[in-house]
Amino acid sequence: MRNKLLYFLVFLLPYGGWAQTREMTASEQASFQKSLQQLVEIKTISADFVQYKHLSFMKKPVESSGKLYLEHPDKLSWAYTAPFQYKMVFKDHKIFIDDQGKKQTIDIGNSRQFEKISTLVSSSMHGGKYDEKEFAVSYLKQGNADMVRLTPKLVGAKKYIKEIVLLFSPTDKHIEEVKLVEPSNDYTRFVIKNRKVNTTINESIFNL
Amino acid sequence: MNRFLTFSFFLLFFFVSCGTYRYPNASGIRESAPKELNNYYLDTAQTFVYRAKLNAFKKDINGSLMVKILGRNEHRIALVSDFGQTLFDVSISPNEHELHYAMHDLNKRMVVREIVHIFRTMTAQRYATSAVMFANQQHYYPVYVVDNNYYVVKERKVERIQQAKGAKEYLTIVYQEWNAEDIPTSIVIEHKKYPITIDLTLDVNQSTL
Repeated sequence: MRNKLLYFLVFLLPYGGWAQTREMTASEQASFQKSLQQLVEIKTISADFVQYKHLSFMKKPVESSGKLYLEHPDKLSWAYTAPFQYKMVFKDHKIFIDDQGKKQTIDIGNSRQFEKISTLVSSSMHGGKYDEKEFAVSYLKQGNADMVRLTPKLVGAKKYIKEIVLLFSPTDKHIEEVKLVEPSNDYTRFVIKNRKVNTTINESIFNL
Repeated sequence: MNRFLTFSFFLLFFFVSCGTYRYPNASGIRESAPKELNNYYLDTAQTFVYRAKLNAFKKDINGSLMVKILGRNEHRIALVSDFGQTLFDVSISPNEHELHYAMHDLNKRMVVREIVHIFRTMTAQRYATSAVMFANQQHYYPVYVVDNNYYVVKERKVERIQQAKGAKEYLTIVYQEWNAEDIPTSIVIEHKKYPITIDLTLDVNQSTL
């Protein structure tokens, strides 16, 4: 009997983790929406990020890290520093790339999905509202943290992304994690650290 | 006259397309003692993560190539862009493949077939029973032949695979550098029919070796 109980607990334990995520109540949702309004005051963000790519057949995720700089309304610098150097700057509806000295510019018209994601992340960091025409929005709680799950509605986006999950810090309500889930259920998790808000960002960061 | 011209054209086309590839400076093919080739991707405990720089049809894609060994000549191979988007994920064995996922733009039969072909050639272990003969043997490393693949062996390691289709070279895979355990750390793949080049550099920290 004791063994059965042990097996029961061992098998149930992993599901306990999932049970921590639940829908927000109406009052929690209202308070969350209100907390996002403080983010409107944000003019700049600089932070470190760590990217974990999870593939079902890999035991450990493939890891890379770098720095991000965001200047409201439409400048984003996304630079990988380890294990490789690769920098992207989004501004003026273009993506500027510096691949270890090899530079190129991509018109965003050729990379709509990428633009949507970068706009979404930038907008979320700034407390922007989610486009409910493009996404089905679920407001969730994971422990004390607020979580928003965005499921694409449009066929074009569904081909690339199954869902986007944004996890907010329970303390200051800033975005802490972004998870992009692919149609295959493999996913990429971006963890944002050492965030600095409204500090002056040198203009050269956005020039490539 | 028209019928003669049409017939001549087809005859010409037939002879051109059925030409056979001749390895540079080769004087013929000889039988060789059985030789195992391309023994790099055999250990099922290993997973390789390569930094990948791909140029295809004048477009650059950077990312990571994962090679997991599932069994003897069975490999799972995935290419992920720097931003984390899976471009393809496929299991490859000698006679078949299973596509687990391909990004929408790449999920076309011809593209998948070519991806499978390239990485099957790169990872498959082969057995040779014939080799190229050279007029002046002292000047050349041994080159073994399996089907239409030519394996150049230097210091007991495959240094290069040259693959031919018809009379022309189709694909070249060059293993440029190895670590102390003879694991390829730098590989250059060049497709001779389509404008595709792939540079791979082993990421030792992320690989399980």
